[in-house]
Amino acid sequence: MVIVLMLVFIGPIVWFVLLAIRPTATAFTMPPVLVFEPTWDAIRYTFLDPGNNRPQLFNSVIIAAGAVLLNLPFSFPAAYALSRYKIRGRKNIMLWYLGLLMAPPVAFLIPYSILASSVGLKGTYFSMILICQTLTIPFSVWLMRSFIDEVPVEIEEAARVDGASTAAIMLRIVLPLVRPGIIVTSMFAFVFSWNNAAFPLVLANRSTTTLPVGTLQYFGTAGVTWGFIAVAAVAAMIPPMLIFLALDRYVVRGLTFGSVKG
Amino acid sequence: MPNYVPWLLISPSIILLLTLIAFPLLFALKNSFYFWNLQMGPTPMGFVGFDNYKMALQGGFFLGALWNTVLMTVVGTAVEFMLGLMIALLLARQLKGMNVARALLIMPTTIAPIVVGFLFRYMYDPGGGLIPWLLTSVGIPIPAQGLLGSSSTALWAVLFADIWQWTPFFAIVLYAGLLSIPDDIIEAARLDRTPPLAMLWHIKMPLIKKTALIVVMLRFMQLFNTFDLIVVLTKGGPGASTRTLGYTLYQAGLVDFNIGLSSAMTWMMVIIVNAIIGLFVFFAFRDWD
Repeated sequence: MVIVLMLVFIGPIVWFVLLAIRPTATAFTMPPVLVFEPTWDAIRYTFLDPGNNRPQLFNSVIIAAGAVLLNLPFSFPAAYALSRYKIRGRKNIMLWYLGLLMAPPVAFLIPYSILASSVGLKGTYFSMILICQTLTIPFSVWLMRSFIDEVPVEIEEAARVDGASTAAIMLRIVLPLVRPGIIVTSMFAFVFSWNNAAFPLVLANRSTTTLPVGTLQYFGTAGVTWGFIAVAAVAAMIPPMLIFLALDRYVVRGLTFGSVKG
Repeated sequence: MPNYVPWLLISPSIILLLTLIAFPLLFALKNSFYFWNLQMGPTPMGFVGFDNYKMALQGGFFLGALWNTVLMTVVGTAVEFMLGLMIALLLARQLKGMNVARALLIMPTTIAPIVVGFLFRYMYDPGGGLIPWLLTSVGIPIPAQGLLGSSSTALWAVLFADIWQWTPFFAIVLYAGLLSIPDDIIEAARLDRTPPLAMLWHIKMPLIKKTALIVVMLRFMQLFNTFDLIVVLTKGGPGASTRTLGYTLYQAGLVDFNIGLSSAMTWMMVIIVNAIIGLFVFFAFRDWD
């Protein structure tokens, strides 16, 4: 059974990764050619030739990292407040954040793209980093809240007795204690922004487009250049895979917003 | 303690999110009442009342896409949940090598949907893709235009790619939910000689209900909003057989540049999505903390 599972769910990934080093002649021969002389042409072309995928890789990193940096100062205080204060309507606020994660991105993308071009922000990193917040803030608030919930309140009370202010407690005591939670949340936010194709598909221009969206350019008028697509696509899928492997312990908690403590 | 403190902490994020969402949506609401073709000019070209809404509803344009979307969403979520649950139960048996299998199984879920689109375009390729070859070698006939090229199979082929990507997600999450059930509850039920199916339905499922609800709801809405997979795999075709609501908006706005029509459909979709979320929240999260 396990072998069948691996064949079904991991097999296609391996098959696709092999496409990146497969000689074009064997890409579509059936029955499949399993043994072949690997070719590095596509990899060399995509990464070493100037003017190609290096900028897209760079764009992806800038946008995903920028989204993480902008996200934290907004979502950490909100997560802290929602964890520590019994405010009225807390459940509704949490559900409102959750609802935002389910909003249809295309619905506000087209108006956003027209607005962005009218104020001269279209095609900028900033516009894409900003719009990523509609995904990363709600997600981070949910996830970080579940981490903050686990910090014993007694530590804060002790500090309060010593005269510490709310800001000091939040930043000097709670923030260091939930550092693993911040790291996990940031890595998830990075992957979400990295993998998102909808925003750059509509908002990026030729020089700011990201790696996943960049693969579309190889659907040329002269046909599909599969080797190049595979190289770009594999480069796009490696960082999220590595991050999820590193986060193994936290993956479930992240993907369920802490509803299963993992 | 002053009670404005929590609001001071929450409001920056809420204000930012409201700005990012309200502005485009109000802008779209206004545009939905105007004729505006972006190729003809940078500003709206005349008030047309509800004409854009009428145009969307005429000829089954919007309703056809809505039907495809609902079909995909309901079938996809149900299949992913059931297959995921079966795999979760298998993983929970803790056989040798299961931990490695579990860690690897999350891989499809980590891939960007647009890349999954490319992966499956390669796998479905009518000129020598792995899937048509496998199907024909076991004697299952495939359409001459290929699985993505025939209007009777295209929607299912797209859905299959989504199911491939997200079944492992359900499996891992439900598996973790099953593991979090305290052993003594299972032991007690076992001593009572509870049959396995009753054990699953009456004991295990209620205990992982909260987790299951969140993931079902999230996946339901993600499937409802599907469009990047369609951009790569079929572009809504052949005919209109794979046009989802999301892709229809995208096409009207950024392929045909008909901003008025796209905006009207945006608002119809926003209303539908909010109604669904409202139903979920009302029925599923009423007794929630």
